[in-house]
Amino acid sequence: MDFFKSGLKTVLGAPEPGHQPSGAETVERLVDRVNNSTLLEDRRDACRALKAMSRKYRVEVGAQGMETLKQVLELDRADSETINYALDTLNNIMSPSQFEEEEDNPQVPMNIGEQFTEMFIKDHHNIQLVLDLLDEYDFRVRLSAVQLLTSLLTNRPKDIQEIILVKPMGVSKMMDLLSDTREVIRNETLLLLIKLTKGNANIQKIVAFENAFDRLFEIVSSEGFSDGGIIVEDCLLLMLNLLKNNSSNINFFKEGSYIQKMLPMFNTPEDTEDPGWSPQKVSNVHCMLHIVRTLVSPSNSAQIVLDCQRIMKNVGLLDSLCNILMASGVPADILTETINTVGEVVRGNVGNQDFIGNVMAPSNPPRPAIVVLLMSMVNEKQPFSLRCAVLYCFQCYLYHNEMSQANLVQTLLPSSTDVSSLTSGQLLCGGLFSSDVLSNWFSAVSLMHALIDNPIQKEQLLRVLLATNIGSSPVSLLHQCTLLLQQTTKLQTKVALLMLLSQWMSECPAAVSAFLRVPGGVGYLVNQTCSNEHDENEYLLQGLSAFLLAICIHFNDDSVENYSKDSLKQLLVKRIGMETFTAKLSEVSKHELYNKAAKHPQLRAKIPAEVLIDYEFCRLFKVLESVLVKSFIVKEEASPEEAGERSSPGGAALEQYKALIRQQDARLQELVAQLDALLQQNQSLQSALNDSLASNSHLKDENTLLKAQVSAAKCVPSTDTTPSQDNARASEYEARIQQLTAEVTRLNDLLRTSQEEKKSAAEELEKLRNDQDDLLVLLSDLDMKVNEYKMRLVSLGEKVEDENPEVPEPNLT
Amino acid sequence: MAYAYLFKYIIIGDTGVGKSCLLLQFTDKRFQPVHDLTIGVEFGARMITIDGKQIKLQIWDTAGQEAFRSITRSYYRGAAGALLVYDITRRDTFNHLTTWLEDARQHSNSNMVIMLIGNKSDLESRREVKKEEGEAFAREHGLVFMETSAKTAANVEEAFINTAKEIYEKIQEGVFDINNEANGIKIGPQHSTGGGASGAGGAGAGGAAGGGCC
Ligand SMILES: Nc1nc2c(ncn2[C@@H]2O[C@H](COP(=O)(O)OP(=O)(O)OP(=O)(O)O)[C@@H](O)[C@H]2O)c(=O)[nH]1
Ligand SMILES: [Mg+2]
Repeated sequence: MDFFKSGLKTVLGAPEPGHQPSGAETVERLVDRVNNSTLLEDRRDACRALKAMSRKYRVEVGAQGMETLKQVLELDRADSETINYALDTLNNIMSPSQFEEEEDNPQVPMNIGEQFTEMFIKDHHNIQLVLDLLDEYDFRVRLSAVQLLTSLLTNRPKDIQEIILVKPMGVSKMMDLLSDTREVIRNETLLLLIKLTKGNANIQKIVAFENAFDRLFEIVSSEGFSDGGIIVEDCLLLMLNLLKNNSSNINFFKEGSYIQKMLPMFNTPEDTEDPGWSPQKVSNVHCMLHIVRTLVSPSNSAQIVLDCQRIMKNVGLLDSLCNILMASGVPADILTETINTVGEVVRGNVGNQDFIGNVMAPSNPPRPAIVVLLMSMVNEKQPFSLRCAVLYCFQCYLYHNEMSQANLVQTLLPSSTDVSSLTSGQLLCGGLFSSDVLSNWFSAVSLMHALIDNPIQKEQLLRVLLATNIGSSPVSLLHQCTLLLQQTTKLQTKVALLMLLSQWMSECPAAVSAFLRVPGGVGYLVNQTCSNEHDENEYLLQGLSAFLLAICIHFNDDSVENYSKDSLKQLLVKRIGMETFTAKLSEVSKHELYNKAAKHPQLRAKIPAEVLIDYEFCRLFKVLESVLVKSFIVKEEASPEEAGERSSPGGAALEQYKALIRQQDARLQELVAQLDALLQQNQSLQSALNDSLASNSHLKDENTLLKAQVSAAKCVPSTDTTPSQDNARASEYEARIQQLTAEVTRLNDLLRTSQEEKKSAAEELEKLRNDQDDLLVLLSDLDMKVNEYKMRLVSLGEKVEDENPEVPEPNLT
Repeated sequence: MAYAYLFKYIIIGDTGVGKSCLLLQFTDKRFQPVHDLTIGVEFGARMITIDGKQIKLQIWDTAGQEAFRSITRSYYRGAAGALLVYDITRRDTFNHLTTWLEDARQHSNSNMVIMLIGNKSDLESRREVKKEEGEAFAREHGLVFMETSAKTAANVEEAFINTAKEIYEKIQEGVFDINNEANGIKIGPQHSTGGGASGAGGAGAGGAAGGGCC
C-alpha cells in the first residue's frame, strides 16, 4: 500500500498537507487526469493507477471511470500499454467474482460486476470497441480483450450473444483467435467460445461454418487425444455446445466426415503396460462419449440418427466402443456411459444391432457380449447405474428389430438345442424369479421389450415352460408370472409383472386366454382394482390392475368359459362400476414416476427406489387407455343393437373409431385454441417483463452512481460547502438512495412474479404441446386402425365408401 | 466418401423466392409446397462430379427475412460460391438484387463466384420479370445466370454444378488460394482414415481379464 501511495504521488502531485485523500477522491482525480491530460504518459500512468485501485475501489472506479475508460479504448488505440490498462480495469470492474480486497467491505453489492456490465453494454458500440481490439496483435491487449469478453458473457450471456451476433464479423474474429500460435490466447479463446456458443443456435452455426470442427480436431490431435490435458476437454465441451439440439450442425458434422475423426479418441491401448486412466482422461472420454450420444440421441430426427449410426459402424467406431466394453481396467463410470452409448448407437438400426449381437466377449468359455452384459444386469453386486445402463443397451438392441426379439425368445423355447451354455433367456428367467427385486424388474422389462409390436413372439413366449420342482410337471412362463404377481409383496416386482403381462396380452387373444385359465388371476385383478388404499403407489397398482383387466376384456376371443367378454364386462360393472374403473385407470398417468419415465427411452433413475415404470409401457398405456375406456362405453350404449353388431363387427368398430376420432379432433381444436391463448399471454408477459427490466436497470444504474457519489461526498470535506450543508446533502442522498433501493426491491419483486408467471405459462404450454403430440400420435394410430377395419370390411365383402363414411353399411348375410 | 475438393456455398435472396426449395430439390430430389420459413441458416450437402473428380458441396441456406440479415452476413466471408435467387413472379425480389449484390460484394472474398437465379420458371403465367431482364442484370454485374424451377427441378442440378465448374476453373487458373480455408475451398483428405482394422485387435489383448463388465 505504501508503495502504491508513493506511486500515486507522482501522478497526483503531493497531497494537501494534513489531509489524507480518500479512495473516492483519488479515483476522481485520476479520472480527471485521464480525461484532461494531453500527455500520453500522464494518461497511461493514470490508467495504470486506476487499474491498481479497481479491485479495492471497484464501485468508485466503475461509477466515475467507466465513460473515461471507454474513451481510452477508442482514442488511445495506438498505445497498447494504455489500452491494456484500460481493458484490465474494465475487466476488474465487471468481474463476476469477488476480490479478496473487497471481502470485508459490506458496501460492495454481490452482483456489482453484473450491474456494471449492464451499464457497459447499454451502448452496443462498447462491445464493438472490444471486438475491434481483438485485431490487435499485441499479446497483452488481445488476451485482455478476450478475458473481458469472457467476463461480459459470464455476467449477461443472452444479451452479449445477441449483440455479438449482429456485429459484422463478430463471431469470425473470435474464431480467428483459435489459430493464434500463442497457446495462452488459443486456450482463453476456447473458454470464450464455450461461453459464447452456449444455448444459441445461430452462433453455433456460424462457429461451425468458420471451420471450428477442423480447428478443434487439430488441437485435440496435437494434444494427444484422450491422453491430452484439460485443453482437450475444453475442445470437446465446445464441440458439444455446437452439436447439442442443433440438427443443422449435426448434419454438417456427419457430412464433413468428422465422425471418423473421433475414432482415435476411443482407441484402446494395445499394451497392457498402459499407465491407466488419469482423472483427466476419464473426463475427456466422458465428453467424447457424450458427443457420440448427442449425434444419435433418440430425440434427433430418425434420418439423422440412422445416418450417423451407419457411419459409426462403417468407420469402426462401434467396434472401438465394444472394445472398451471388453477391455480390463476401465473405470466403472466410463464403462457405464460406454454401455449407454453403445445402446444408442445401435438403437433401431438392424445392421448395428446384428453387429453387437455377434460380438464375443473374451471370457472363458467365450460368451456373446450381450450375455455377459445381462449377467451384470441380474447381478446384485454390480453398481446400480451399470445395471440400468445394461437394461437400456439391451432395450436398444431389441428396439424395432424382430430378429433380435425372436432370438431372445428362441433361447427359451424347448426346441432350443444347446442346453449347456448360458443364454440370454435363461438369465432373464432367473432374474425374473430371483429374490432380488431389481433383477425382477430389469428382467420383466427386458422380456417385455422382446414383445413390443411383435404378435408372433407374444404367441411364441406362451410356449415357454418352466420346470419348477423336480418331479412336478412344468408350468408355463405366463402361469408362473401370474402366480408370482399374486404372491409377491414387493411393489417393483408387481409393477414390473403387470407391465409385462399388459404388453404380452395386448393384441394377443391367445395370451389373454392363457391368463384367464390361471387360477386366481382374474380375481386378483378385480380385488386390486377395488382396493381402497390411499397412497400414490397403491393408486398405481390399482390403475395397472384395472388396465390389465380391461385388456382381458378388450382382446378376449371368448374361448374361456366363464370369462367371456360379456361375463367379464358384467363382473367389472357389478364389482367395480364403470366410473370407478375409469377413475382408477386414470391414476396411472398421474404417478410422478410415470411422467418421468414417459419423457425419455432411457430409464433415468438415480436410486433404486426410482425404478418403477418403463418408457415403452407408457407408450402402450397412452395408446390403449382411451381405446379401452371408449370401447366399454360405446359397447354399453350399443348393447340393444347387439344382434346387428354381431353380424357386422367391423362396422361397429369402425363407427366407434370414427366417434373417437371426431372426439379427438374436437379436443385437438380445443388444445390448439388454448395454445394460441397461452402464446399471446406469454407474449404480453414477456413485454411487461422487458419494461420492468428496463426501468429496473435504469434505477440500478442511478443507484450505483449515487452510492459512489455519496461515498465520495462523505469522505471529502470539500472546501466550498459548509459541513452542515454537506450533511444535509448526504442525508438527502441517503434518503434518495433508500427511496431508490425500495423501488428496486419493488421492481425486483415485480420482475420475479412476472418471471414466475411466465415460467408457469411456459410450462403449461409445454404440457399442452405434449398432450397435442400424444393426441396426434393417437390419431394416426386410429387412422391406421380405421383403414385396417375398412380393409377388413372390404375383405368381408362390404362396400366402404371413402367419401361418405357415415352411410350405414348394408349387412351381408 | 473421399473427395478431391470441398466447396462451400451460400444461397441468398429475398424471403419466399425458393432458396430452401432449391436446396431440397438438389440434395433430396423433393419439392416442398409449403413455405417453411427458414430461421437463421440451414445446412445441406451433396457430392457431385466435375472433370472426373468428386467434389463435395456444403451449402448454407440462409433466411431471406430482413431480421436475419446480419446473421446472414457472417456467412459471406467463408464461401466460395453464392446462389443469388429472385422469384420471376415477384418483381420486388428482382428489384432488391442490387442491395443483395452490394452486401455480398462488401462482405465476401473477391473471388466468390455468384450465380444469379430466376426461380419458379414453372409459373410462366404469373411471370413479372422477363428472362432478358435477368440476363441483362447478370451481364452488367458479371454474374452467371439461369432460370430454374425448384418445383419441376428444371435447371436445378445445372445451377449448382455450373457454379462448381466456375470455381473449379478458377482453381485451375490459380486464382483461388486453395490453402486458405477462408476462401471456402478445401482439398480432400489424401488418405481416408481407416481405424477399423486397428480396433479389431483390441479384443484379443484384453483376453486375460474376463470382460470389463463382470
Ligand atoms: N411453383 C413454384 N413454387 C416454388 C418454387 N420454389 C419455391 N416455391 C414455393 O415458394 C415458397 C417459398 O419457398 P422457400 O424455399 O421456403 O423460400 P425461401 O427463399 O427459402 O424463404 P425464406 O426461408 O423465408 O428465406 C414455398 O411455398 C414453395 O413451395 C418453384 O420453383 N415453383
Ligand atoms: Mg428458406
